[in-house]
Amino acid sequence: METLQQMGAGFGVAFTPENLLFVFIGVLAGTVIGILPGLGPMSAIALMIPIAFGMDPTTAIIMLAGVYYGAIFGGSTSSILLNAPGVAGTVATSFDGYPMARKGAAGKALAIAAIASFTGGTIGVVLLMLIAPALSSFAVSFGPADYFALMVLGLTAVVTLGGRNITKGLIAAVAGVMVSLVGIDSQTATLRFTFGMPELYEGVKFLIVALGLFALAEVFSMLARRGAGGADGAMSSLRLNRRELGRIAGPTGRGSILGFFTGVLPGAGATVASFLSYSMEKRIAKDGDTFGSGNPKGVAAPEAGNNAAAVGSFVPMLTLGVPGSGTTAILLGALLVLGVTPGPMMLSDRPEMFWGLVASMYVGNIVLLVLNLPLIPLFAKVLKTPRAVLIPLVVVFCVVGVYGLSFSVFDLWLMLGFGVVGYLMRQNGFPAAPMILGLILGSMMERSMRQALQISYGDWTTFVTSPYSAALLGLTVVVLVWPLVKRLRKGAPATAAGAPAEGAEKEDTTTTP
Amino acid sequence: MKPFTFSNRVLGAAVGVLAVGYLYLAFTLEEFTAVSVPVQPATLPKWLGAVLLVLAAVLFFQKDDADEEEDSGEPSGTGSDSDQTGGGAPARPAAARPALGRLTDPRKELALFAASIGLYIALLEPLGFLISTTAYIAAATWYLGYRRHWANALVAVGVSAVLYFAMSDFLRVALPTGPLPF
Repeated sequence: METLQQMGAGFGVAFTPENLLFVFIGVLAGTVIGILPGLGPMSAIALMIPIAFGMDPTTAIIMLAGVYYGAIFGGSTSSILLNAPGVAGTVATSFDGYPMARKGAAGKALAIAAIASFTGGTIGVVLLMLIAPALSSFAVSFGPADYFALMVLGLTAVVTLGGRNITKGLIAAVAGVMVSLVGIDSQTATLRFTFGMPELYEGVKFLIVALGLFALAEVFSMLARRGAGGADGAMSSLRLNRRELGRIAGPTGRGSILGFFTGVLPGAGATVASFLSYSMEKRIAKDGDTFGSGNPKGVAAPEAGNNAAAVGSFVPMLTLGVPGSGTTAILLGALLVLGVTPGPMMLSDRPEMFWGLVASMYVGNIVLLVLNLPLIPLFAKVLKTPRAVLIPLVVVFCVVGVYGLSFSVFDLWLMLGFGVVGYLMRQNGFPAAPMILGLILGSMMERSMRQALQISYGDWTTFVTSPYSAALLGLTVVVLVWPLVKRLRKGAPATAAGAPAEGAEKEDTTTTP
Repeated sequence: MKPFTFSNRVLGAAVGVLAVGYLYLAFTLEEFTAVSVPVQPATLPKWLGAVLLVLAAVLFFQKDDADEEEDSGEPSGTGSDSDQTGGGAPARPAAARPALGRLTDPRKELALFAASIGLYIALLEPLGFLISTTAYIAAATWYLGYRRHWANALVAVGVSAVLYFAMSDFLRVALPTGPLPF
């Protein structure tokens, strides 16, 4: 009952006119910035921090949180309409959202995304309120070996959804991890794979690879198709009938819960959550093989997952003072500047802030839904742009996104290079998603691996003696072997089935030699 | 035929060459000796290179599967791409100009397009953002076959100006100015 009481006080904070206004501003700004390819929640929050200066800290964090989930929703809009996810967290949405848009169901896809986001966010907030304390104590007991195993699981789960050829998916994932290791090694300060170029010392930024592999490669294949086959902007109605709502109810619910718990685990944020929900639905659904060609469930699951995870990632940040993702790390930085130190004491010291934030998340979700559903036809106008105009504009947006981040022409060349590589990969059936995830997780994986081995004095069995880690690695093996078993049961040719098996074993030996 | 699509044999060999090169670099990384560490800077790269080499070998001996070619790509397009050439091509007169661009060989068209982006990047700092972006949008849109030249000019000038002033004045991100005074 105490929780309810505090929640009531929280709503009192959230419903002051000033805070309501700033939730609205934050959500709107976040959505608009998130729609632009290349600008994600991180850049959106970073851009809004100067505006938050001088505000009351509670109002500031309420606004910045609004920017966060607004940007995630905006990112899914550009994923669906342009296949140009500006944010890693919405990459999975483009798998089915973009094919839906190309089939003329852009309106339905956006409406599903809006509803699933809303549901995911709301379920996430309820869970945050109910079980934040218990969950954070569980996450504390996660050791580095367990994190490593979790990330290996996330990566392999993505590979199995990257098309039928697991070998090509694994190659893409390994290549992604390789790219993530470029630069100065954080522990030993050794230069790795920089070819003597100082521009590479700090590593390859995620945004460059994402824009190259997704947006630029998409532009290349648009040109190769001669503009045929793209979504034509014929806007279907936004209305979903009851049957369609019934179809997405299950994926949305499961995605929300899975997404929230994934978001709570530090390191595994919206991206891993959306991929996990997507691949889980693909396995569960009876029509799982139509995923990737415009199945509404494939839009609902990752959207619910990434929004719930965005909420979930607030749990470790607010209760432990440990940011769970890059985005919450920026938020934490903003809070510190404003003179607030989140941590175990925050709940007792500044309850109005914690509960005000939770309440404003409810409000923000409603604002998001009210704001986005009517504006969807406006967003969809993007599709009516003639291809000949759109292609150069996408190139310019990519250039601005990368240059505005680093002011480096070298990074632009790098982006062009990744664009060419991305196009070649696409033409030859290599999925780009595992590569992106490998890039994001690669350096985190190495850090966890090092910490784990440091703790165990170099004993590699630590990865199987920790119960969580052993369970997660076991799950990884199941995820890799499952498609193989399914194929054998169908009686597919032995040559095709034998190859992924070898890859699977190999992958496993790297984690548990 | 789809441009730039290769057999598994060629792809496997290419990935294999990459893996060998990567392994060579991984083995020439120096050991870290100042403090004893369980994981050397080269440990993970060596594993990655080895795994990549094995995967390349697997791919090399994999049969080219026509089925898989169609579906395994990004859901975005390669799949329906083949439908396009299969169903759409005969309907179009052979001599008709492509809807986007001007060259009939898609490979040359793509190479030219990549080169144009390269030129834009090369000129970004010397000419400044405003001039180079306006010129790039106008030229590329015209080349790709957009017929309404006034609209084109308006978009080119408008987009680059709005982006430039939004970035430099509102967000305080300094884009290259070039010879222009603002």
